[in-house]
Amino acid sequence: LRSVRLEVEGMTCGSCVQSIEQRVGALPGVVHIKVSLELRSAAVLFDPSLQSPASLCAAVEDMGFESSPPD
Amino acid sequence: MTKHEFEVAMTCEGCSGAVTRVLNKLGDEVKFEIDLPKRLVWIESEKDLDFLTDTLKKCGKEVKYNGTK
Ligand SMILES: [Cu+2]
Ligand SMILES: [Cu+2]
Repeated sequence: LRSVRLEVEGMTCGSCVQSIEQRVGALPGVVHIKVSLELRSAAVLFDPSLQSPASLCAAVEDMGFESSPPD
Repeated sequence: MTKHEFEVAMTCEGCSGAVTRVLNKLGDEVKFEIDLPKRLVWIESEKDLDFLTDTLKKCGKEVKYNGTK
């Protein structure tokens, strides 16, 4: 398993946080996700054979938020 | 073009911002308007209803179709 912290822009409230946790958390290969409104980031524990930082960012972007992997 | 009215469970500008970005990705074929206090989204498009509904659902909010306007 791998963990990554993605930057997430555009969240303003707890419902944004929940939406992302639910939707991205339900993707195959995602073991755990914790989204922080204050830190504007998402900590994701995932199976690298099923997901990558880029695919996780794409999933967050698909929901209408901006996301980028850490440099 | 057909104008559809949807009720989307948006609670703040973050929600309406997400809806805006998701709809903007569809490009020119879709025109839309959002009323955040009323939680309404109007979409003008010839794309089919299921496609538009699925697009709105990407935001992770509850979506209800109110019919054409
Ligand atoms: Cu929000
Ligand atoms: Cu919101």
